[in-house]
Amino acid sequence: MYLSRSHIVWALAGLACVASAYVLWPRQAATDAERRALAEGRTIIVYWDRHSGHEHEARMRLIDEFNERQSEVYVRGVAVGFNALMEKTLTSTAGHAPPDVQSIDSTFLAQLAPQGIFRPLDDLIAEEPSLHREKFFPFCWDMVFYSGHVWGIPTTTDSYCLLWNKAAFRKAGLDPERPPRTLQELTDYAAKLTIRGETGEIEQMGFLPWLPWDLTHMWGALFGGEWFNYATGRAEIAQDEHLRAAYEWQQSFAYDPGAKEQLPYAMDPERIEAFSKGFGEYFSASNPFYSGKVAMIAEGEWQVTFIPKYAPGLDWGVAPIPQPEGAPPLSYGPAAVVDVIPSTARHPEAAKKFLRWFYSPRPNGGTSPASDYTFEIHNIATRRDEAVQERFVADPKFRVFVNELLTKPVASMPNMPVSLYMMDQIERQRSRVVFRRSTPEQALRDAEAMTNRALDRVRALMARGGGPAGGKTP
Amino acid sequence: MTRLERRNLRNGLLFISPWIAGFLGFELYPLLMSVYYSFTEFNVIQPPVWSGLANYHELFFDDPVFWRALYNTLYFTAFSVPACLAASIGIAVLLNQKIPAMSVFRTIFFLPSIVPLVASSVLWLWVLNPDSGLINMALKQIFGIEGPGWLADANWAKPALVLMSVWGIGGAVVIFLAGLSDVPPALYEVAELDGAGPFRKFWNVTLPMLTPTILFNLVMGLINAFQYFTQVYVMTGGKGTPVDSTMFYALYLYRSSFFYLRMGYASAMAWLLFIVILAATVGVLVSSKRWVYYHGD
Repeated sequence: MYLSRSHIVWALAGLACVASAYVLWPRQAATDAERRALAEGRTIIVYWDRHSGHEHEARMRLIDEFNERQSEVYVRGVAVGFNALMEKTLTSTAGHAPPDVQSIDSTFLAQLAPQGIFRPLDDLIAEEPSLHREKFFPFCWDMVFYSGHVWGIPTTTDSYCLLWNKAAFRKAGLDPERPPRTLQELTDYAAKLTIRGETGEIEQMGFLPWLPWDLTHMWGALFGGEWFNYATGRAEIAQDEHLRAAYEWQQSFAYDPGAKEQLPYAMDPERIEAFSKGFGEYFSASNPFYSGKVAMIAEGEWQVTFIPKYAPGLDWGVAPIPQPEGAPPLSYGPAAVVDVIPSTARHPEAAKKFLRWFYSPRPNGGTSPASDYTFEIHNIATRRDEAVQERFVADPKFRVFVNELLTKPVASMPNMPVSLYMMDQIERQRSRVVFRRSTPEQALRDAEAMTNRALDRVRALMARGGGPAGGKTP
Repeated sequence: MTRLERRNLRNGLLFISPWIAGFLGFELYPLLMSVYYSFTEFNVIQPPVWSGLANYHELFFDDPVFWRALYNTLYFTAFSVPACLAASIGIAVLLNQKIPAMSVFRTIFFLPSIVPLVASSVLWLWVLNPDSGLINMALKQIFGIEGPGWLADANWAKPALVLMSVWGIGGAVVIFLAGLSDVPPALYEVAELDGAGPFRKFWNVTLPMLTPTILFNLVMGLINAFQYFTQVYVMTGGKGTPVDSTMFYALYLYRSSFFYLRMGYASAMAWLLFIVILAATVGVLVSSKRWVYYHGD
């Protein structure tokens, strides 16, 4: 048969199409191990890890263990990371291609669960004794329990304390073994520990309430304020004198241009920003607390592990964060990382099998993989009996963090459908207050109005869209 | 249409069919849907709920951050675009001189344009550091001036970003260089015969002959400046700090969609931005009849 040039071109074009389709066609198995798993008749499920780096590696070691120990399910762990987690979760759901199980922040859960994008895990919780409600810290349980359903399993949580640099204390003539115990002492110490250069630039900062990041929510709670009224399902903060006091207190760290004399611990807000812009990577030797640029800081339990790693010579202590006189004793556990199963997951039963293994104690009185994972990444376990395991509390510094959660009621970020939006609003208002673009009263009024409007809108949408009612509200 | 023409048409369509499919599915359809979404309350997860003009009403009357973001973006555009144009023309003229190793200089000036935006943003965070940054150090050492807080100061944050935007003009410089090579040497010779010095030649020959290129770079610059996002996202952690001074339009749009789950609202914002960009571009194109000179006309 005679082959013309155009025949050859068409044949090549067709071949190219087939080849690209072959290359692009999604495969069930991506690695040799997965191909073997498929051949064995196992179900391959995808796990999206909210962490990357060493935390993901710790997770992967346990996933590998799971894959080796049984022959029904094979888990493919993917490090999705925190950046763009929300986008990926949303788009994968909208595109009907979610993972089978994933870890996310409890604040995301609070915002997404009311939209019905996750599968209730009530049956899993009911049949697995180690996942019963009473096992968990109540504040962690509250993060996953809405509208009568459990939407996720809390894996790890955090606790905040005051860290202080003992060398800086000695240099300033303070007792290095005695941290500030009251708010008054905190600001007195801050004044003594703040060192300025010739032209007024900050060389060492004693303390700043919004380091290492904005902690407005924490300060408001520690001052005795309520950011969200779960009884009415609304933010009722405009009239809360404790929240106002917390804003005022944060504002007092920045110069008041109208005042004749500045408070001894106050700093020029632009100098503060300038100083903060010079901080290095958070997890590096140039972290401002590690490098001695900041003498006292509110931080989480992970520092017990990271400080010896990045600043082995640092002499430091840890103590509860001082609260104003008269405020009810409170600790701060802002959020948790939780495991969830998307409502459109293809293999929910296989995903549950994995979760059941992950959260159950190993045979013969062994620790649960979840606890091992928490230990590996130096967070706090969400179940009380795991949080007090010897390996965690043997370290006297880590024990202080855990004790805070054990001995006091815990304040957490609001668990409601616009939690991220509300956090944005109160943090935005904090910077307005500090730069004196707004008064604490106005800031609270604005944050309340914006939050409630957003809440109303979301609730109206949920009522029409038929999603489960949001938040812990009636 | 002859048989051959029909066959060519068919083959042509077949060959561009991947593009047509992609355009229809990934460009036109989302574009049209976003118009619809802008009239709805839509969180991606649940079906959109028609809300009429509510999103637009809220943007105009109930959202102070929207106006702040719009102001910030207009401010940035108004200063950054002319600054970049002036700088790129100036550098292009310098790089058009006939001296040895010119290609080396051209490469040097183009280099910043190929540095990834994220990397250059992190670099500029250090350059703009008020205490230890290169700029303030230079101001202090050379002129004895105490530099401003730049990104740390709500009043200086936008000027800092304008300054930084001038760094990435390599692309525009290359286009201006192409424009400069199009200027007929005869015009310079005539100007010289008439006694024109370097400045007169630049003002009366180079600049008018460059106006089509200026128009192109102006329009592209406007479109890019209105959508300014990556740098400010990296440099402020996506927060638009201090006190909303760098909350740009695209950043707020992004936050509205992916953090607040308000795709409908974000779509409305996107269409308003489209109208603003369209108006600015049409304005420039209409005005160009008065100031652009096309050599071939």
